[in-house]
Amino acid sequence: MPEPVIRVVDVTRDYPRPRTSLLKPAPTVHALRGVSLEVQAGERFGIVGESGCGKSTLLRIIAALDRATSGQVVVEGTDITRLPERRLKFLRENLQLVFQDPMSSLDPRMRVRDIIAEPLVVQGHPASGERVRELLDAVGLSPDAGDRYPHQFSGGQRQRISIARALAPRPRILIADEPVSALDVSVRAQVLNLISDLVDELNLTLVFVSHDLSIIKHVCDRVAVMNAGEIVETGPTGQVYATPTHPYTRRLVSAIPTLPRALAGATTSDLLRGAPE
Amino acid sequence: MSDVLSVQGLSVTVRDKTLVQDVDLTVGPGERVGLIGESGSGKSLTALSVIGLLPEDVHAAGSVRLAGVSHELIGADERRMSRVRGLQLAMVFQEPMTALNPTMRVGDQVAEAMLIHRTVPGRRSARLAATELLDRVGLAGAMKTYPHQLSGGQRQRIVVALALANDPALLICDEPTTALDVTVQAMILDLIMQGVAARESALLFITHDLAVVATICQRVLVMYGGRVVEAGPVGEVFTRPRHRYTQGLLAASDLESADARLPTIPGNVPAAGQFPSGCVFRTRCAHATELCAEVPPWEGTPAHGFACHHPAPAMEPTHA
Ligand SMILES: Nc1ncnc2c1ncn2[C@@H]1O[C@H](COP(=O)(O)OP(=O)(O)OP(=O)(O)O)[C@@H](O)[C@H]1O
Ligand SMILES: Nc1ncnc2c1ncn2[C@@H]1O[C@H](COP(=O)(O)OP(=O)(O)OP(=O)(O)O)[C@@H](O)[C@H]1O
Ligand SMILES: [Mg+2]
Ligand SMILES: [Mg+2]
Repeated sequence: MPEPVIRVVDVTRDYPRPRTSLLKPAPTVHALRGVSLEVQAGERFGIVGESGCGKSTLLRIIAALDRATSGQVVVEGTDITRLPERRLKFLRENLQLVFQDPMSSLDPRMRVRDIIAEPLVVQGHPASGERVRELLDAVGLSPDAGDRYPHQFSGGQRQRISIARALAPRPRILIADEPVSALDVSVRAQVLNLISDLVDELNLTLVFVSHDLSIIKHVCDRVAVMNAGEIVETGPTGQVYATPTHPYTRRLVSAIPTLPRALAGATTSDLLRGAPE
Repeated sequence: MSDVLSVQGLSVTVRDKTLVQDVDLTVGPGERVGLIGESGSGKSLTALSVIGLLPEDVHAAGSVRLAGVSHELIGADERRMSRVRGLQLAMVFQEPMTALNPTMRVGDQVAEAMLIHRTVPGRRSARLAATELLDRVGLAGAMKTYPHQLSGGQRQRIVVALALANDPALLICDEPTTALDVTVQAMILDLIMQGVAARESALLFITHDLAVVATICQRVLVMYGGRVVEAGPVGEVFTRPRHRYTQGLLAASDLESADARLPTIPGNVPAAGQFPSGCVFRTRCAHATELCAEVPPWEGTPAHGFACHHPAPAMEPTHA
């Protein structure tokens, strides 16, 4: 096996919760409880789980935007677990993130071309107009989009802008945290196709987070199912979706409303099937 | 039996812009009807027109009638509307905090909702009824909590409980689960289904998720650009769509049978007031011709039909 692009070994992350009482010690949130995973070069890796299960925490730790309480994170062969910011330059260039809510992650006072060029500027590279036009084109926006502001775009277009910004430093790893959860179906289809095409064309390694396994199945080769800070099941997405083995995964799969099932008579009680009472 | 809700020729305008046009919509007693469409298609404005909660500068015209209410709802004054809301008519919004008072304990809010409309004789019985209601949504322990102490899904369960508190004849839900994950969504949807079934309430359910509509509704209306472009029984519309927009929407949402690439609808939904004249979909439609510059007439019956000059063939199922 070649060295994985991302290796997470037994990572935990505890957050102190605000004190609720003067007498009791501050309670701790165990956001990650010993997570291990490996992502190979060029792989499309999905992470699925309910709200609060620790998906974003895990991504932030892989991107060195947050630190593990214990465990180890190795990206492209470099142990980043305790690396100081000044030695993370390689990561800041090679790994980029796209978030769920394109509106709150785009500065409303900046023109789109400056938003897209920002990661380059931050890294001390000159950002040519040529490169910005190239990026706008890559995500299917017209060149004049660069002159406008984020609020002048629809939700799907804003997500294209954040993808263009992520691609600016020519990353090798793209991490997407619920990138289509806030989008309409037809826009979702456009953005999923876009991510798929870019991953192929640019040979990216993709880590894609969603609470909906049917979306992960469409985009990813392999998936890790998270529940309460732990990975409960990992496998090829098609297999996990069709024959989930862990009870939690079964519950997750049966909760997804699908047209074929609904048209065959599935009810809301069927969606809840497998759910603990 | 006559309809619980009857909307005729509804138009919604803001200054010189028309946001919703010519919407006809009925919901029969105990019937569950879905209203689907993408962001900006006019779903919420349609619902807000029915409950009389449009923003100041936005105006509705046409007719909205509710069974058991002797007056027209469009143009009715706030005093009359507030009597209708929460009694015959209740609504659940996407964001539960819009319906909750952040400074009031959850149990008191549910009890008060019942007191206001005098569906219970007094404070004591209101509190008892509130406890019972919260128990039924699995939150018996939440009586004394404040909304901010609960998760988004728990808050939405409370809002559903509040909406059902007075056994409304019609429950309107506007994307009640869009911000929630699939497991919590399943719980809320089931709660709504059990709730309307037990009360024989009618349901108007707004969403952009076709699979959700197919799971809970019997009939569906498809909106685009402020107009209803297709309507009919869920099984018909979702297996044999006639309008080209419905067809595109179905294809784009089908993660099950699509391979690597999903079919998409070209272009973007235009901004409010920027939809083309004639057929609102023609600028994005592969089948559009000059004819489409004219508004397509409604084909079929009010309950089952479409408005398209070049519809998909009637018999051929496009969604196996
Ligand atoms: N900075 C923080 N301080 C304290 N607690 C935190 C912090 N970040 C996350 N948590 C807690 O850690 C847990 C995991 O949160 P995380 O955001 O990783 O979940 P998630 O799976 O991304 O959820 P969602 O689907 O809602 O985005 C939650 O209980 C959350 O409240
Ligand atoms: N007060 C207003 N002034 C001007 N335009 C408005 C106003 N309220 C809504 N609109 C516009 O009317 C159109 C229809 O809005 P509506 O909220 O009904 O859409 P929707 O179908 O509910 O969309 P979503 O799925 O995003 O909730 C949108 O383009 C919206 O921007
Ligand atoms: Mg998250
Ligand atoms: Mg809306």
